Order: sequence, then structure tokens, then C-alpha cells
Amino acid sequence: MATSTYLSNPGVSVNSVSLTDQCTSAVVTNTAEALESTAFGSTSRVFVSGLFSQEITLDLYMSYAASETYATLAALVGTTTTVKVSNTVAGLATPSATEPCFTLTGAYLEALPVINASMGELSTISITFKGGVLTTAVS
Amino acid sequence: MKYKIVSPRVGTPGDKFEPEAGVNVEALLSHGFIVEDTTPPKSAKTITNNPKD
Repeated sequence: MATSTYLSNPGVSVNSVSLTDQCTSAVVTNTAEALESTAFGSTSRVFVSGLFSQEITLDLYMSYAASETYATLAALVGTTTTVKVSNTVAGLATPSATEPCFTLTGAYLEALPVINASMGELSTISITFKGGVLTTAVS
Repeated sequence: MKYKIVSPRVGTPGDKFEPEAGVNVEALLSHGFIVEDTTPPKSAKTITNNPKD
């Protein structure tokens, strides 16, 4: 049985800034766009790989304090940067087979919710980095 | 250009910062995570052959 339970281990850095202690969710998606190549004579649909398309979605607590979430992300809107995610904090610096580090280089940040305020709740935001080249380091 | 780490979120403050590929250095500078290292390089020692009398 293969399961992964995340309690406090994963590590996240955006533009070389560690946001591990502000992050509650990280999803790294590696997509190979499906191009249909079904032709006459086929009885089932057939696809081939098109361009790769990468995405990293992070859920973060919002903080406007110095060196925190807002300061890290504000200047990145409309630009590209490097985002790293590993299943352990140690994996960010010293990846291994069981602690792979997924690095998205040239990741574009299209939008940043600059405020998400609700009475009596900690402010959180969800951001998505798109595009770039995904590499997986295991050593 | 050389940079020095200011914020512990980037690394050990005071250490040299070497940006990885794709890192937006301007964003780090603009919010004070790093600063430009303006420490002048040490000049080479000059050895003079000027023996004292």
C-alpha cells in the first residue's frame, strides 16, 4: 500500500525565498497536452503528446510583514521566477530518491490576490505559477 | 554584481547570495531580501624590496 501523509514536512521556496511556514498546500502538475491523432480506420480515439504544460498551485497564509508572503510575491506578478517544492524541507537543498525536489524554472505568476479578508479568519491566498520547465532532482 | 543575504528566509544573513537560474533578483532587492554587496575587494599586497639600512 502506497500512501503519503503530509503533516509538516513539505518544503516550498518561491524565488529563493522559503515560504514553507506559510504554505498549507502545494500541487505540482506536469501535463503533456493530448493531441488527437485519430484517423479513418480507427475504432477508438488515439492521442499523441503535444507541448508540456506545467503548473504549481500554492495555498498560503497572507502576511504583510517584512520578508513574508506579500513581500515575496508582490514584485513577481507578471514576471517569471523559479519555484521549488519537495516532500521534505531537506529535499529542497539535498534531494534524494525519496525526497525529490521539483523545480519549475521560468514559472509565470499571472495573478496575486493582494487581499482576502474575512471576519474572524486567518487570511489565505491561492496562487498558480504557469509554464516554464519542470525538472526533478533526485540527487 | 555580488549580493549579500539579509533575510533568513533566503539563507544565512551575511552570506553571499548566488542566484539560481530563473530567480528574479530585482524582486528580492526591492523587498530587502538581499542587498548588493558593496564591500570593495581587497587589494593585492605589494611587496617592496626596500631593505632597511
